[in-house]
Amino acid sequence: MRNHSALDLRWPAKFNEIPKEVFHRADVFKLELERIFHGCEWHPVAHSGEIPARGDLKTGYVGAVPVLIIHGDDGVIRVFQNSCAHRGTQLKTCARGKADKIECPYHRWTFSNRGELIGVPGIGDFPKDFRKEDYGLRVLRSAEICGLVFVTLSEETPALDEYLDDTVEHIARAMGGDGRLKLLGYQKVAFASNWKEYSDNEGYHGPLLHAAFRMLKFAQGQGVQFMTPHAHKVNSASLSVPDPNFIEDRSVVEGRDPRLPPHNIVVSLFPVTIITRNLDVISIRYATPISPDETEVHYAYFAHADDDADLVEHRIRQASNLIGPSGFISLEDGAVFNRLHVGSHSDGNVAFQKGVRGPIEAPYVLDKGDEAGNLIRWEHYRETMGFARD
Amino acid sequence: MRVIDAQTLVRIDALQQRYARALDTRDMAGWAGCFSENGSYICIARENIEQDLPVALMMDDSLARIHDRVTYIAKVWAGTFEDYQTRHFVQRIDCAPHGDGLITVESNFMVAYTTTRGRSEILVAGTYEDAIELGPADARFRSKKAVLDTATTPRYLVYPV
Repeated sequence: MRNHSALDLRWPAKFNEIPKEVFHRADVFKLELERIFHGCEWHPVAHSGEIPARGDLKTGYVGAVPVLIIHGDDGVIRVFQNSCAHRGTQLKTCARGKADKIECPYHRWTFSNRGELIGVPGIGDFPKDFRKEDYGLRVLRSAEICGLVFVTLSEETPALDEYLDDTVEHIARAMGGDGRLKLLGYQKVAFASNWKEYSDNEGYHGPLLHAAFRMLKFAQGQGVQFMTPHAHKVNSASLSVPDPNFIEDRSVVEGRDPRLPPHNIVVSLFPVTIITRNLDVISIRYATPISPDETEVHYAYFAHADDDADLVEHRIRQASNLIGPSGFISLEDGAVFNRLHVGSHSDGNVAFQKGVRGPIEAPYVLDKGDEAGNLIRWEHYRETMGFARD
Repeated sequence: MRVIDAQTLVRIDALQQRYARALDTRDMAGWAGCFSENGSYICIARENIEQDLPVALMMDDSLARIHDRVTYIAKVWAGTFEDYQTRHFVQRIDCAPHGDGLITVESNFMVAYTTTRGRSEILVAGTYEDAIELGPADARFRSKKAVLDTATTPRYLVYPV
């Protein structure tokens, strides 16, 4: 195998089984950072609605690499390593902010918000061949779809359009059709869970876990569920929610957006980002693998630029209570991530069953609630990691 | 000069104690009973407030939503989450009459939690920004805002704080 990994890990021969040890081994985690997070994948790091004005910035991580996303004074959004070009000091520590220029506190090197080095104290004592042009901030390869800014650390990653494939129209639809979004805020949480337990189960899974779905009599209508060749998953369906009789404030499950009747749209991008539209909640869930045992998730929520004040207010109230880490219909997810991780320390394999009829390949259309689609993610993972089957 | 008499302070502190005890004993009906008829409860990250972002972690801006939160915990989520024991520590740091019979109170808080494995850590720290109604019988919250310094909580929050 081209990518054959040196790690001693036995991958089961049965196509629907995953070895539990991948969820907690430190050497596996280290290789994941190298091959997946720092490898040939695109990672969403910001939506332009989070940094709408020139000078706006946001910090984040791609795997372990700190990044700085800045809306430059020329109107261009760039992604840099959040690290001074001199001695490597982290430049910005805030989650979001605004800056005309960025000054490193250590030796006062100063960069424009386009990343150019513009100020260097003590330059007279530098080597004669020192040129400021050589020491701009390191720009990372980035691309944008519907205002969503993706970054990749590899030059070999395919073009973003090709990478996202048929997910694009669903990403657009989740984001109000065109991605003209206004940021409403964040919910942030650390799960005591491996990133794969999070991404394997967050976003969409069989509804048995959620009593609210049953109690609310949620019914999915027309829609699609499919996997793409780059192991992304799309679930998109209309949703009907009868008048609930067991809660007092039904606005939490009301669909009021005139541009899109109630829908449940979940785009799970490999490896960890999830873009969702649940009723009137528009959300991007950015996740960062902190360690084999911890995954930090930032739920960013948005309104659409054309919303009237009432609809914005409704989105704020629904986003706050419906689908986040403490959400009415979603809290149980966090509970399961943590319990999966504890359970992963038992021996043996995880086995996928529902909808599993035989080995599958992308593109692949799955039935509602099937877990078989995840096997395409796992096959992509196994190949990228270079784990040979038994 | 803003003067709050000792008797009023006693009533305010009694409400804060009743609130902490209700949460620490997981008496959710008792928690809901700390709010007045027009009561509201909001739990929000300070990071959002400082950036003028309105999304909260819990936005129970009416008594109906406060009652619904009790339903979520007791009837919807029951049996799925790993339970945890909380201890609320609350320190009043400011108190002022607000007119209309309301008193505004600011307090620091810290909530410790203990998991089923018996490990204790800090769950969240922050400030309460409260507007308290002094009724003939007892004091109740017209509004209670828990502003979390803890922008990233170390686990998902089941209970309000």
